[in-house]
Amino acid sequence: MEYKAPLETYSGSVKEVVIGKGDRSVKIGGENILPLHYFEGKAANRPKIALEIDDNCAAGWSEWVLEPYKDVVADPVKWAKKCLDLGADLICLRLESTDPQGANIPADVAAALVKKVVAEVSAALVVYGCGDDKKDAEVLAAVAAACSGENLLIGPAVKENYEPLAKAVAEHGHCIIAQTPIDINLEKELNVKLLKQLPPERIVIDPLSSALGYGMEYSFTIMERTKQVGVIHGDFAMQMPMIADLGGECWKTNQARAGREQGILWEGITAMSLLLAGANLLVLRHPDNCRMIKEAIDGKL
Amino acid sequence: MILIGENIHIISKVVSEAVRNRDAAAIQALAKAQAEAGADYLDLNMGPARKDPEELGAWLVQTVQEVTDIAISLDTMNPAAMEAGLKLCRKRPLLNSASGKADSKAGMMPLAPKYNTQIVISVITDRGCPPDVDSRVESIMDTVAYANGLGIKNEDIWVDPIILPVSADQKQVREALEFMKILPDLLPGVKSVVGLSNVSNGTPAPLRGILNRTYMLMLERNGLYSAIADVLDPELIELNKGGIPDIRELVGHVMEGKTVNTDDLDERSRSYVKTARVLLGETLYSHAWLES
Repeated sequence: MEYKAPLETYSGSVKEVVIGKGDRSVKIGGENILPLHYFEGKAANRPKIALEIDDNCAAGWSEWVLEPYKDVVADPVKWAKKCLDLGADLICLRLESTDPQGANIPADVAAALVKKVVAEVSAALVVYGCGDDKKDAEVLAAVAAACSGENLLIGPAVKENYEPLAKAVAEHGHCIIAQTPIDINLEKELNVKLLKQLPPERIVIDPLSSALGYGMEYSFTIMERTKQVGVIHGDFAMQMPMIADLGGECWKTNQARAGREQGILWEGITAMSLLLAGANLLVLRHPDNCRMIKEAIDGKL
Repeated sequence: MILIGENIHIISKVVSEAVRNRDAAAIQALAKAQAEAGADYLDLNMGPARKDPEELGAWLVQTVQEVTDIAISLDTMNPAAMEAGLKLCRKRPLLNSASGKADSKAGMMPLAPKYNTQIVISVITDRGCPPDVDSRVESIMDTVAYANGLGIKNEDIWVDPIILPVSADQKQVREALEFMKILPDLLPGVKSVVGLSNVSNGTPAPLRGILNRTYMLMLERNGLYSAIADVLDPELIELNKGGIPDIRELVGHVMEGKTVNTDDLDERSRSYVKTARVLLGETLYSHAWLES
């Protein structure tokens, strides 16, 4: 008799989130399986990879990851196009220069830049603010309004600013990134609050991604549990896809900055680990990792 | 269930100030309020009582006994303060608490036979709080055997399984429930007690009551004998008297795994059902657990 391996089936499934509109749109989530368990059930969408660009000329980037982009970093439009040529599924634009501790450019200037990128680059776009909750609320609301109807993925929405941000995102037809500090209970709380303003198909969870050697295990555990709670236990408030924003975290470590090959590996191993933990969307910096992780997802590594 | 009033606790700002200033009236007001609310015992928590332990233990017991004749649960880890207070208790007191720690066995536990008290013995040992049912069993069997050796009868022992906050460790909340169920078979004749409000430590203040009350019903269903609790919560008192039977029944249904359709319930009943599910570990805790 032929042996048939027993298969687990689960009651819950991850919501499918669409980022971007028309033929530039990208879908993430939608699976009713644990990470990469393609043999168990439906994986509506394979994990996607965004390459990261910023509006600050890649200030502070390690030379090893700057290398492939060095002639385009002053121009986010060119930089984004280069990332697409290098195989990115989406572009992640980080509005570094809005940081009050840095260049502190005003919200309308940042919003105009995002609008320009949307107009000139044919890609689904993730937009991260600088991480200052007050400034982000202002900047990201302006971005939402300036790009009304473009269905960007915008964040981070945090405990301190989610209300106005979710309002702007809902009003202008975008998706939101719900970010909490590596804590499953706080993560659920923010999701529950956001679900009062937005449907789950417009929310992506960012549990915060730490780099290898800097607490990656914690991120791994939280992502793994999020997926288990959503898929195995069917918890409605935990069924959104997850974004692993890890490139910047990896490339700021001394280990990654020590050399090209080690840097790429540092980012690659972190990415692969968080993929196994359940990330649906990875934000990376080095194009070699974009290629390698895609091969791994397709089972070619 | 026997209720031990928790509100004279050194962590409370009012109490710590009253203790520092030896302000008898402030302590007595809290004692009277809890007595009127229906407490069976009053817990007098002095904490570590580092400064003038004997004088403090004696003062606190005397101060409270001036306004009420309710039995006292004397709560400190300082044996000197404990002994000074126990000497003065008019009714048979509860020594709160001893544990399996070496210094507790040596310094605290012998006070129980010496002053003929009842005694709280927790599952804690020198290795900390046991993480699951099996290790709780192991530690309490050892510690109670030691107490028996000192001449303390099971009937005078109130076992404390140690309640941890649901916001910090949801699994432990369920472990304590399970432990309660098997305790009578392990140690026939022992009583049990929990620090009930600890389950809601770390939860925003307005939401603590529903966690405390639901967990009380659940623990009671599994055989809990007594709780150190917020007796100034009228709904908790009402539930403990057997009031609001439909709530009690609903919580029971959740514990038995029966299907409960929350759509048909009023707001309050729905909150109890959601809370019971969180305390059983069926749904992941968040501070917004009542909102989803």
